[in-house]
Amino acid sequence: MARFIVRRTLYALVLLFIASVAIFYGMRVAPGDVADVMSNPLNSVYSAQNLRQKLGLDKPLPVQYVTYMGHLLSGNPGSSLVTGKPIMATLTSAGGYTLKLALAATLLTYATAIPLGLLAAWKRNSVLDQGVMVLAVLGMGLPNFFLAILLIQLFAVKLRWLPIAGYETPQTIILPAVCLAAEAIAINLRVVRSSVLEELNRDYVRTLEAKGLPEGRILWLHVLRNASPPIIALAGVMLRTLLGYTLIVETIFRWPGLGYQLVNAVLQRDYPVAQTLALLLTLAVIVFNLLADLGQQWADPRVRHQAGAA
Amino acid sequence: MMAQESVGLAVDEEFQPALPVRRGRTLGERLAPLRANKLALLGGVVSFLFVVVAGVGFVILAVPSLQHLYLDQNVEVTLTPPFHGGHILGTDNLGRDMAWRIVAGTGISLFAGLVVTTLSMTVGMALGAVAGYAGGVTDRLISGLIDLTWGFPVILVAVIFVGALQPGLTAVIAAISVVNWAGFARIVRAQVVSLKERAFVEAARALGIPAWKIVLRHLIPNMVGTSLVMASYYVAVTVIAEAGLAFIGLGAQPPTPSLGQMISSGRNYLYIDPWVAIIPGITIALIVLGLNTLGDGLRDIFDPHLRQW
Repeated sequence: MARFIVRRTLYALVLLFIASVAIFYGMRVAPGDVADVMSNPLNSVYSAQNLRQKLGLDKPLPVQYVTYMGHLLSGNPGSSLVTGKPIMATLTSAGGYTLKLALAATLLTYATAIPLGLLAAWKRNSVLDQGVMVLAVLGMGLPNFFLAILLIQLFAVKLRWLPIAGYETPQTIILPAVCLAAEAIAINLRVVRSSVLEELNRDYVRTLEAKGLPEGRILWLHVLRNASPPIIALAGVMLRTLLGYTLIVETIFRWPGLGYQLVNAVLQRDYPVAQTLALLLTLAVIVFNLLADLGQQWADPRVRHQAGAA
Repeated sequence: MMAQESVGLAVDEEFQPALPVRRGRTLGERLAPLRANKLALLGGVVSFLFVVVAGVGFVILAVPSLQHLYLDQNVEVTLTPPFHGGHILGTDNLGRDMAWRIVAGTGISLFAGLVVTTLSMTVGMALGAVAGYAGGVTDRLISGLIDLTWGFPVILVAVIFVGALQPGLTAVIAAISVVNWAGFARIVRAQVVSLKERAFVEAARALGIPAWKIVLRHLIPNMVGTSLVMASYYVAVTVIAEAGLAFIGLGAQPPTPSLGQMISSGRNYLYIDPWVAIIPGITIALIVLGLNTLGDGLRDIFDPHLRQW
């Protein structure tokens, strides 16, 4: 197990290094020099040259990379080229918004998928079960941005219950959270249902029933616990997918989180912001991957044993 | 040398009946389970229809003299609802015919889906098979690469690619392929690892058939079913990702019509005519649902044990 942790952590560090180099160089080879964008074209080549020197863009790329990473690691990634605001300030406020949204979506996912999946499996082939499966199919098929349009059209335009976009009032989080959670709910519904179905056929369930234990207790206490490994294994995948979707959902609802800021920065060619945010999100994904791998090892004794032997 | 070749061939042919790939059945017989599974059949029909639509879309995108079909603007008939003024699906905010725009957009969507899936399937199958068959250091290196790539959020990678290239279809296709190959490689590797212990592979090896030939002629044919199932899911995943990126302005750029971008521009007219956003959305949903149901059906036929992804 210790060897596994060390190896995985090394993998993660290598990947992070590769990703940081790729992101850094990627943003540099993009057409349009930062200095040309920033400097006033009326002020001739001279000022662009000055600016290039000031920003350190005249130095070789590896030197620029090391300088940038140094600044980043010491907590000062620079400022935005468009707004002039320090990136760190954007990062903390946007990070807070993304965290809030991701947390809401995660809570919504499990608060919906676990009880509904459990009930669907328990009342197999009932109307409830079929309804749940239709929901699962729709959740997988409807892309989240289209779902967003439908929900906006219904709840914001027609019924006027909820705001179209924004972040000022508490209600603004409802629609983005639902859109972000939709696919995760659908996938989890299927997994919870099939995993619970498998458990319901096992001998211990019959034994517990024979003992006269109330159905609710069997279902929520015993079956759910035994059915949980695949749900937990899926959680890691869900989290990083969710992170990817924040880019789209935040943009639709103008939710000022990391995803929205990153998409904006890329569209406005605001390289310092774009590369810092991209790197931060990549780091988050790599950390999630690592945690998911380790969590799976820890949760499943068979896998744990195998890894120890390898 | 000649003698060896012919011996190899003869042995190969003699060996055919032992292959688990069933032969001597017609395509109709093979597809019988699909006909029995009504839902999968429906998925297949829907997918086939969209492939036809995409083919037409591709023609009108590629032939300059046909591009007027989806590009011609007419400011006198903007935002008409479906079935009005000779436009089956109405017109958009510039008076362009929605039906032709949907056809062209479907062409773009499925084009991206097919290119990405072909690229990632080829690379994924090749690397996965090599890793699984060779084992040892090669396997560890490739598996490491697979672990690092698999499950990376496509949208995030695409945004980074768009930052480096220009917003557009090329960046989107490159980004999705860079992530998706690992999905194929994982499954293929696992299959090769289990298949290579089987008697027919051992026999082939004992007969001195070279490794590349064993992989190509004996292992890959056994994985066609699984790969088809995965391919149908991955085309669907790509269609969604392409549309999502186009929706936030990073995908195919106007005047190239893309379904995601049509939804995005349509959202500005939700109060006047919601159809301009809803029709492309329904189109994407139908493509994805069709492919997913077909994939589920194919999975039941080829490999009941395969989990999604």
